[in-house]
Amino acid sequence: MEQLSKIACEARRRLLLMAAYDPGIHIGSSLSVLDILTVIYGSGRAKFNAHNGVSTRNYLVLSKGHAVHAIYALASVFGHLNLDELRETGSLGSRLQNHPEDDTPFTDVSNSGSLGLGIGMAVGLALGLRLRGAQGRVYLITGDGELDEGLSWESFAVAASYRLSNLIAIVDLNGAQLDGPSEEVLRKGDIAGRFKALGFYVQTIDGHDYAQAAEALERAEASGAPSVIVANTVRGKGVPELEGSIRQRIPRDEALALASRLKCQ
Amino acid sequence: MSVEDLTPREAAGKALADLGDLRSDVVVLVADTGETTRARLFAERHPERFFNVGIAEQAMAAIAAGLAAAGFMPYALTFAAFMERAYEVIRNSIARLALPVRLIGTHAGFSDTYDGPSHQALEDIAIFRVLPNFTVIAPADSCETYKAVLASAEVKGPVYLRVGRDFHIPATCGLYKMFEVGKGYVVIDGRDVAILTTGQMLGFAVEAAKILGEKGVSAAVLHFPTVKPLDLSLLSSYAKEVKGIVTVEEHMVYGGFGSAIAEALASIGPKPMAIMGVKGFGKTAKNPAELYEYFGLTPENIAARAEELVALS
Repeated sequence: MEQLSKIACEARRRLLLMAAYDPGIHIGSSLSVLDILTVIYGSGRAKFNAHNGVSTRNYLVLSKGHAVHAIYALASVFGHLNLDELRETGSLGSRLQNHPEDDTPFTDVSNSGSLGLGIGMAVGLALGLRLRGAQGRVYLITGDGELDEGLSWESFAVAASYRLSNLIAIVDLNGAQLDGPSEEVLRKGDIAGRFKALGFYVQTIDGHDYAQAAEALERAEASGAPSVIVANTVRGKGVPELEGSIRQRIPRDEALALASRLKCQ
Repeated sequence: MSVEDLTPREAAGKALADLGDLRSDVVVLVADTGETTRARLFAERHPERFFNVGIAEQAMAAIAAGLAAAGFMPYALTFAAFMERAYEVIRNSIARLALPVRLIGTHAGFSDTYDGPSHQALEDIAIFRVLPNFTVIAPADSCETYKAVLASAEVKGPVYLRVGRDFHIPATCGLYKMFEVGKGYVVIDGRDVAILTTGQMLGFAVEAAKILGEKGVSAAVLHFPTVKPLDLSLLSSYAKEVKGIVTVEEHMVYGGFGSAIAEALASIGPKPMAIMGVKGFGKTAKNPAELYEYFGLTPENIAARAEELVALS
């Protein structure tokens, strides 16, 4: 766990560095989902060297594609990207686009960017894996704002109807979306309850607690049902000046100052 | 029962069932439209590869994309008008990724006569034609629907197939054996004027050519079941010879088949053209013939427009 904490901290510093070079990154969202991604990659559930395409391996679907920089940051900490390339994120011609595209490395699904689409894609992948008799699972990460979309619940209902026990959804419940606090923009109600009503195996955790996340993933995998982990998170987590703020974009000077102030153990 | 005796949607359902026998990667999705689209014919033979997602067209499109990403070849069927509801999902999940998803929009054009404008897709060719990577096919009758569905399995990227409900005039059954995606067909040869159609208007174009023939006007009838990519060599070979070109489609005159021909002619060499189709929403009626009459899509009107073009030259 201590190791994961070090990895995540270094990834946060690299996120800030990317923010200094790429005004297009969504820093707040990337920081809120980073710990969950750290556990998924750190535990080997998702792999950086898995390529897009047909396979029976696990899939990781980041439906909140605007947080893809969290994956780039982790990939660089794990040695799959060098800093030079990281600085080019968002540049014309760079393979590190600001939302996942078809040729974006380290991501499985490139239909995200537009919210809710990754959820349907994940359900289709899970159906496909099951039809193939494959053991792989689909780990799906959505935001809470994304749950406004009708498509999100259409897709979850299909997952429930077909009892897709190989689908593990994680809601990065950071409480913020474009126009403000999620609950104020549009009522979300009892998110866990909505999933329970559909027949999901539901757990609620602190999305920044590695032990809780790891245990919840294990229970979800053993549950035999479509599963959701509602992860309470904080926008900007790990960078004290940004925590709890709904800011997604920060100017270059501030990003550099925050990166140099961030102390990792 | 031969394919000729089936309705277009039954031909599509039968083709899917047969395709399912040939290919184990074919899966079929419907949005509470298993019966209405006749995808049921596939479900009866391949129940384990059939998925009903409920009245949720967006989910159908996104899940089809996921199945394609997992290595399957999904066919997703609903009314053409309701397929439009999933447009942005289709754009970002299917077209942008060039996934081999095949969308079959049934009840297209005026064919869902009873249900009126809410159910009558008259803009689907336009909106799918404009999406990069998409192939767009509008078969003329049941025979062509059956062959086109089978042929669509060979297309690399996504496909939109436009299929009618029940009405059809068998016009292609003896025209060719194998459907070739991207190929246009000479149904009647002629030298004065060319009538170009896609979809179910072919039978009317053939009638129009007969009317013109009786008046001493030699009219060619060219059928383009594939609207995108268009058979440019067939188009240019006739465009150079005839005095004018009439396009006919059961669709808006904006952005559809006629527009595709006009765009191509802008490069090949412009010709006097008449683009026949509709300019507004459909109507409820007791049978499609009433609607064709109401909207002016009749053999007589087609012949009249062709005659005008010949007279102009």
